[in-house]
Amino acid sequence: MIKQTLIAIGAIVVSTSAPVYAQDASDTGGQDVQTIVERASAAAYYQGKDGRASVHMSILDSQGRERTRDFTILRTDVGDVDNGEQRFYVLFSRPADISKMAFLVWKHADTNDDRWLYLPALDLVKRIAPSDERTSFVGSHFFYEDVSGRGPNEDNHVLEEVTDAYYVVNSTPKDPDSVEFASYKNWIHKATFIPVKTEYYDAAGEVYRTYTASAVETIDGRPTVVGSKMADTRIGGETRMSYGDVAYDLDLPDDIFSERYLRNPPRRHLR
Amino acid sequence: MNPITSSAVSRPASYMWAAAIFSFLMIALVAAPSLAPKAFPFLQPLKVDTDPENMLAADEPVRVFHNEMKAEFTLHDLVVVGVINEAHEEGVFNTDTLGDVYALAEFAKTIRWDVEREDGEPEQRGVINIDIIAPSTVDSIEQAGLGSVRFDWLLPTPPETEEQALNVRTRAMRIPTLNDTLVSGDGAAIALYIPITSKDVSFRVAKALRGKIAEFDGDAVYYITGLPIAQDQFGVEMFKQMAISAPAAMALIFVLMWVFFRRLNLIVSPMIVAMVSVIGTMGLLVATGYTVHIMSSMIPIFVMPIAVLDAVHILSDFYDRYPKIKDRRKTIDHVMKELWQPMLFTTVTTCTGFASLAFTPIPPVQVFGIFVAIGVFLAWALTVTLIPAYIMLMPERAFSGFGMGARGAASDHEATPLARFLHGVGAFAVARSKLVVVIFLAALAVAGYGITQIRINDNPVKWFTPNHEIRVADRALNERFGGTYMAYLALSAPQEDGAEAMADEIDTRLASLATPAAQTLANQARAQRKNAASADDLLAKLRTSAEAARDASSEDDDWYAWDDTLLALDAAAQSSAVFKSPEVLRYIENLQRYLDETGLVGKSNTVTDIVKTVHRDLYLGEEEAFRIPDTREAVAQTLITFQNSHRPQDLFKLVTPDYRKAVVWLQLKSGDNVDMGEVIEAVDSYVIENPPPQAISHDWFGLTYINFAWQQKMVSGMARAFLGSFVIVLILMTVLFRSFAWGLLAMAPLTITIGVIYGVIGLIGKDYDMPVAVLSSLSLGLAIDYAIHFNVRSRQLHRKFGDWAQTAKAAFGEPARAIFRNVVVIGVGFMPLLLAPLVPYQTVGVFISAILVLAGVATLLLTPAVMTIFQKSLFPERSVK
Repeated sequence: MIKQTLIAIGAIVVSTSAPVYAQDASDTGGQDVQTIVERASAAAYYQGKDGRASVHMSILDSQGRERTRDFTILRTDVGDVDNGEQRFYVLFSRPADISKMAFLVWKHADTNDDRWLYLPALDLVKRIAPSDERTSFVGSHFFYEDVSGRGPNEDNHVLEEVTDAYYVVNSTPKDPDSVEFASYKNWIHKATFIPVKTEYYDAAGEVYRTYTASAVETIDGRPTVVGSKMADTRIGGETRMSYGDVAYDLDLPDDIFSERYLRNPPRRHLR
Repeated sequence: MNPITSSAVSRPASYMWAAAIFSFLMIALVAAPSLAPKAFPFLQPLKVDTDPENMLAADEPVRVFHNEMKAEFTLHDLVVVGVINEAHEEGVFNTDTLGDVYALAEFAKTIRWDVEREDGEPEQRGVINIDIIAPSTVDSIEQAGLGSVRFDWLLPTPPETEEQALNVRTRAMRIPTLNDTLVSGDGAAIALYIPITSKDVSFRVAKALRGKIAEFDGDAVYYITGLPIAQDQFGVEMFKQMAISAPAAMALIFVLMWVFFRRLNLIVSPMIVAMVSVIGTMGLLVATGYTVHIMSSMIPIFVMPIAVLDAVHILSDFYDRYPKIKDRRKTIDHVMKELWQPMLFTTVTTCTGFASLAFTPIPPVQVFGIFVAIGVFLAWALTVTLIPAYIMLMPERAFSGFGMGARGAASDHEATPLARFLHGVGAFAVARSKLVVVIFLAALAVAGYGITQIRINDNPVKWFTPNHEIRVADRALNERFGGTYMAYLALSAPQEDGAEAMADEIDTRLASLATPAAQTLANQARAQRKNAASADDLLAKLRTSAEAARDASSEDDDWYAWDDTLLALDAAAQSSAVFKSPEVLRYIENLQRYLDETGLVGKSNTVTDIVKTVHRDLYLGEEEAFRIPDTREAVAQTLITFQNSHRPQDLFKLVTPDYRKAVVWLQLKSGDNVDMGEVIEAVDSYVIENPPPQAISHDWFGLTYINFAWQQKMVSGMARAFLGSFVIVLILMTVLFRSFAWGLLAMAPLTITIGVIYGVIGLIGKDYDMPVAVLSSLSLGLAIDYAIHFNVRSRQLHRKFGDWAQTAKAAFGEPARAIFRNVVVIGVGFMPLLLAPLVPYQTVGVFISAILVLAGVATLLLTPAVMTIFQKSLFPERSVK
């Protein structure tokens, strides 16, 4: 959930520990669950009109062996509309042998995203066919969909609980054949609407995949996730991401989010 | 009479009771902890072990490496489900069958359960669902129009149209890692590979799968196989063998003894001896914590006939003497005096033969040898006490009309056809002594040739009979797929290169940047290279320095120049990723092609297959793009594309994340050790003729290789054990007869027997496998027995008569009859092993019978013939009384 980085307002470090189950579930500040989910999506993926972050990704497998990826991510919200159209440009810098590999996403609110991949060593721009977005993102425990965000309208949401700090939302897919989970549960921070923990359940009701926002900082006045991790008990291990050089509202030009710039990275905007 | 027997004869009832109590205790000792482990934590319960891997000790380097590699490449033991549909013209590729296959794979994912570990933590066992290989769980990379690639499940949902079903085949067969593995080479069948947490859950998993399969009503046939399944099945059959064949052998021995001795109550005594010996030995085995393994499960079947052997000698002698002496106590006295020495020595030699197996490097064979030796000794102790005690407990009147010639024939020598026949044999051996010796020498010569033809080979799947369901499945799947026998060739780059090599690499890369920043860093690198502790140390120092310089840059151009130097450092560090090098990958590709051409390997999978497949599909699926790209960056980017799939972790079953180790996954159509051996040789010779472009060592693992490895150890270990015990027995014989010549004579029938048996094995093309190897010790122990009995008795008789002609005549009386009865009782008594559902037991049954017959024939023909020829030196004048 890279875009969680690019979000923000307010300086709070969110604790994921021991939510207090004291409050009544009706205490939602008058918001229905769909609104909560939409606000969470906006807080996680749509902060500012655009943004940038340098990401260090550490993939630890079940044997504790580490693989790393470093990349810079640029984002712009088309028309600055929350939960609307978005574009991402991801440029890899490390390891050296995938340096300058680039990845472009045009995220659509209601249809499948358009995705392109540039492989510099093969000098090849490939369009990735719109299909399953729940495949691994460059070999990590994160899925493509975790990076670009799952649309609030793709699931049915139930507000399961409201604690002192969190809205606990249980979501079930509208199209179960298109996803591998049976349901997932989100702990959404009440003050910032940042989802700090997500658990994915299989058909047997067991948790197999867990997202955690492990560090949140305030950047440009916006609460921003600067550390996150995804663990998967089926394959074992976890992927950690840490975000640096986070900046918002950079006035990124729209045209850099195009196929043309895959071969020629917009250096000026990446540093 | 010796003190042991006389004590037994004086207090027969006490001895019988002691034996009964001993048996009961042994049974209780095993039953109590097995049935109620919690109540008797200090006792050892019955533990069954059907894992051929355990032929090697747990700390055997081959096995340690096997387990390390399995862990490093996260490879699991597999249950294989083959699906074949011969009723449908497209095989399994129809909506019905594929729908069932889909349902089966979905069901397989749910076969999981929690168990509590010893430390109280729950542990999940069963199917490792993320690694299942089935149409619905693997990705297909393919073209998706408009120059797009797509990773998609091969069978995301059950097919709705026949076209969709056929499409699964077309797509799978394009992918080398799936073709001939998931989909059969002929495109008609499918195999699912279901990984399990450990081998011992395979029974439960297979049972659950069978239950699900029973719900399907299509035409498809499902074959469940894989080594874990075979092992479970082996355990079941092993108990069948112990529960059916062993008692059947006992019953047959009982019937044969009745034919010879005609006294039901008398022949019960050897049965008691055999029972108590077997119960005692097996009880001791279990109670001391050893497992019931494929080898140790054969202990009863070995101990039983040997236990009966001495008893038959006693009964045979008793049967012949009683009519003359007509007093059981005096008859026993006479019999035991005559037989004490030969029985003691036959026991010592048999024990030696089996105990020598303790020197083989195969733990289950050691256990087998030691416990059979213990059983044989126990049988001897029981024979010399219980048999006389039992006879004493029978009333004297029970013996009226008992014995040979008891019904009034003039001379026992003429009384029966058996006696007449044996006298004829004796007369022939004496009269035609030279001819007999020549015939035996000729047989030995032919056998010698046969031995050179022996093929050393084994295959645990072939331990099942040819029409066993495991073998049927094995054939059905290996006819259609690349092979169900897995062997893995691990390729490893040596430990890290030194700092010097890294410094050179860094120098080259920085020089090619040709910027002032690169020049500055290159100078630092040269200054540091001497005092850097390691390549990593050097890199870390330079990286820190370059990062500081980069972050201090204000101009974009400076910043990027320094960033480029950091990139160069990272690239230098990555040069150790040997298995990203196109050169190395092409080398592997050529090795695979070479192995394909040898015809020894059904199929191989390596990281090169993934690289080539993804590369092809990045280039519009064109066949000419099915190749390894030219740069290591291109390889890396192909591999990262693969990692955007549903199963990126599959890559690390073929290569480690540091790209320093790779594995060639071989599918063989045969699990025969000879075939594995040929593959090993083929690889070795390829590597010698085609040295790899970088230093890479190769080593094998996988169950097929483990089987090969333990057999190699077994053959050499057996040869050593056999030669050692042969020498020991020869020394024992020399001591027993106080003459080297007599010692050699005693070894003659044994040498002929073993020579001819192994010669025949070579000539008929029977593989020298695990049971055949063990037989050498058995024949050593058994074949010598007859020679000892015959020689000891001949010497006793010669002392009495002082003349060879009379001695020979007498020797072919009672002594020859005892040997003959023994051969028949025990030789035929082993025949029920032919009913066993496992081939090793059948082999043992056939060859034990053959060994006994041969040893009997050699003793009764060759020994007297040699005695005739060398009578002057074997029976010097002074020995005549």
